[in-house]
Amino acid sequence: MKQYLIKRILRSLVSIVIVVAIVMILIYSLLNRDMIFAQDPMYTKVSNNQQVIYKYRNWKNYGYIDYVPYTDWLQDLCNKGEIDEETRRAAASFGRKPENDSEIVTEYIAKFEAYCAENGYTVQRLNAVTNRKKLAPGGAQQLFAYRDRSLLLRLWTYFSGLIQVDNIHNVEDPEFDGERKLSFTWKDPAYGGEKFSPAVMGNGTTHKYLLYCTNKFPFIHQNLLFLNLGKSYSGNNKDQDVYEIMTTTQGNWVQSVITYPTGLVENSADDLHTAVYVAGSLEGNPVLQDRFTDNYTSTQTVKDSFSRIGYSFVIAIISTVLAYLIGLPIGLWMALKKDKLIDKIGTAYIVFITAVPGVGYILMFKAAGAALGLKTTFQMTEANSNISYWVLPIVSLALPWVASLMRWLRRYMIDQMNSDYVKFARSGGLSENEIFRKHIFKNAMIPIVHGIPGAILGAMAGAFITEKVYTVPGIGGLLINAINQYDNGVIVGVTLFYATISVVSLILGDVLMSLVDPRINFTAKAR
Amino acid sequence: MEQKNELFTIEGYTDEELFAHVDHSALESEKITAPRYSYWRSVFRVFFRKKINLVILGILALLLLFTYVYPALVDYDPFANLMDSTAKHLTPAQAFEKFGASIHWIFGAGASGQPTFDAVWFGARISLSLALICAAINMTIGVLLGAVWGFSKKFDIFMTEVYNIVANVPYTLLIAVLVLVISPSFWTMVFALTVTGWMAIAYFIRTQVIIIRDREYNLASRCLGTPITRIATKNILPFMTSVIVTMLATEIPSYISYETFLAFIGMGISDMSLGRLIGAAQSAMLTPGWGFEFWSPVLVTAVLTISLYVAGQNLGDASDPRTHM
Repeated sequence: MKQYLIKRILRSLVSIVIVVAIVMILIYSLLNRDMIFAQDPMYTKVSNNQQVIYKYRNWKNYGYIDYVPYTDWLQDLCNKGEIDEETRRAAASFGRKPENDSEIVTEYIAKFEAYCAENGYTVQRLNAVTNRKKLAPGGAQQLFAYRDRSLLLRLWTYFSGLIQVDNIHNVEDPEFDGERKLSFTWKDPAYGGEKFSPAVMGNGTTHKYLLYCTNKFPFIHQNLLFLNLGKSYSGNNKDQDVYEIMTTTQGNWVQSVITYPTGLVENSADDLHTAVYVAGSLEGNPVLQDRFTDNYTSTQTVKDSFSRIGYSFVIAIISTVLAYLIGLPIGLWMALKKDKLIDKIGTAYIVFITAVPGVGYILMFKAAGAALGLKTTFQMTEANSNISYWVLPIVSLALPWVASLMRWLRRYMIDQMNSDYVKFARSGGLSENEIFRKHIFKNAMIPIVHGIPGAILGAMAGAFITEKVYTVPGIGGLLINAINQYDNGVIVGVTLFYATISVVSLILGDVLMSLVDPRINFTAKAR
Repeated sequence: MEQKNELFTIEGYTDEELFAHVDHSALESEKITAPRYSYWRSVFRVFFRKKINLVILGILALLLLFTYVYPALVDYDPFANLMDSTAKHLTPAQAFEKFGASIHWIFGAGASGQPTFDAVWFGARISLSLALICAAINMTIGVLLGAVWGFSKKFDIFMTEVYNIVANVPYTLLIAVLVLVISPSFWTMVFALTVTGWMAIAYFIRTQVIIIRDREYNLASRCLGTPITRIATKNILPFMTSVIVTMLATEIPSYISYETFLAFIGMGISDMSLGRLIGAAQSAMLTPGWGFEFWSPVLVTAVLTISLYVAGQNLGDASDPRTHM
């Protein structure tokens, strides 16, 4: 079994990589690159050569190409010490047209072209756009090089940077002083330094707190490992990491009395445990100087509601439990009373849910809920204390689950009822109740058990229609909004997340099934 | 004797005229006769035994008439009343008052003053055509490749890996990208729904084929030297008919569902399909007096998908030879 699992996990990892590769091909090679500017107001504001540069710069940001302007290349040479500042300045001032270049410029441009040819870049020079000898708006001359990123390189950079471990060499600030080290304390200074609360703190790390305890689930928190799924480049979450978008709490600020490192005690929503190093932030900033003693000044705020993934997970987990609690007994009952009234009503419900589009029945349900006086528009802060906001999303999500559980349990039960071992048990004098409970139900549950890990893990993926209809700030819309906004980083990150969930739940489902039913053996050779 | 004469004689005919003598034939007596059995005739006999099926077929015929014949007969311009602000969001009673009582206005008027009734059937034509075409393509490719997949062990190893990978690519993402790459027209949507859509069907068929393939009677058939193609068409395909018909019953409504979902998330086709009608009128759902423009496409979709589904399921039940007794 162990060997089988290891092989299975390895195969799954390969298939996850291939899925990400397919998605990368889809979005980076097949999608029309100019589409990302369709809704971009900045794009229409810039003109002439500036527009071309804007395009290439954004393509670089979205991860389509590698892009090197000539001046950056010179600056790079200068930083490496190959040329001095004066030469750089002289070489950088290239003419409006190639004919106007000075000697030194011609020489360095030739070097630039050679460098580009060597590394597979394409050089492009845009002559100045002039209007009666004057530069037209955005018409300055440009010289740059670009190359398409290859799929393998892209995959490699993505997966090699996927898990980032915070370490004491992370801060790259030339002015960083102090010893780079990790320290352990029993009494967390964020609580005033008197309360017992162990914490691991770092100096030279990106985060100040690497491990710490709070009174919130799961009580021990970490900043040590970071899942770098990708970055958002457009839309509401611009410049945020996908992982952050998923896990950052939302809602209103919650203020509490906190003790800053300087000893200042204040009512604030800052969460000192999330402090991140920002180079040079303390200098010349009296507000921060009052509070912080080092450059770990950027904190997130404590908010009163769940994160995106939190909302999706809570709603989905409750509705899944609800669905199993309702769907299984009804499915059982339908199988017991086959062809009676309850079976017919249940079948009608199953037909309705299977045949009517999800959008249709959820909207029907919303109207019914509104008529009952339930809240149809989710409000984050109010929902913390008012259960009425949660009822409709949870029940709507449970509806199709209940139908599918009813349908399959009924099917499996009826199949088992006709099998020989049941007839044998009956002829042996077992009571109907005993046959049902100990024989039929146990066997019928095996395929149902297979779906449980998928149901739990799938809860994290969110439900798009339900969340959109009731405006729940969950994770379900992340992928679709990202597609609509050409947010490539988010698309790849979310795909990886979904693919991992589905692969893991399949493996767990198989393991759980073989635990429940010892007859199922994955290692035995197929006959 | 008296009785026999009454029973077997027909007035005016003698025994010689009524009966002819047949010689005993040793060859004929070896033949075993069975009642004449025609598969499809039995299917329809069982199907029509349930009276509910007649009702559903009637509903379906009416829906198809409106979906395919009605749009061909009427002139429909969704923007004819665009400039008339009094023509928008009307209940049927208000529309009758404004435009006079006609069949076009029995569902009221929509957001741009268009008759909702016409909009629904023009939308239904697009949605149903999409579903039928996609189902036809996916079922054909899926069943054929699924059969090969089930029979060939080498193909099975390869295809199972491909399936595991493709099943993990979010379907929404695939369709969205395809729709964005090629413009969102009707045929793009057909392509997007079929490019990997056949795989789930093929996988299902493959599992069914594997279950039946190794049954004893097929083993016996192979031992007797029956070629694989004959086993496939004569031994296995009849077993699969009911499975295939049942699957078709779930497939067609599922494409309508999928199209509705895509339209709802803003990635649908450019034509005004049922899904786009529902998505566009969603905000009208809870506005008093505007309900008609939202509920009529929802109800038509629901009736259409449910009747297709139930008719298909019952046909699937009827096409199982075990119910023909």
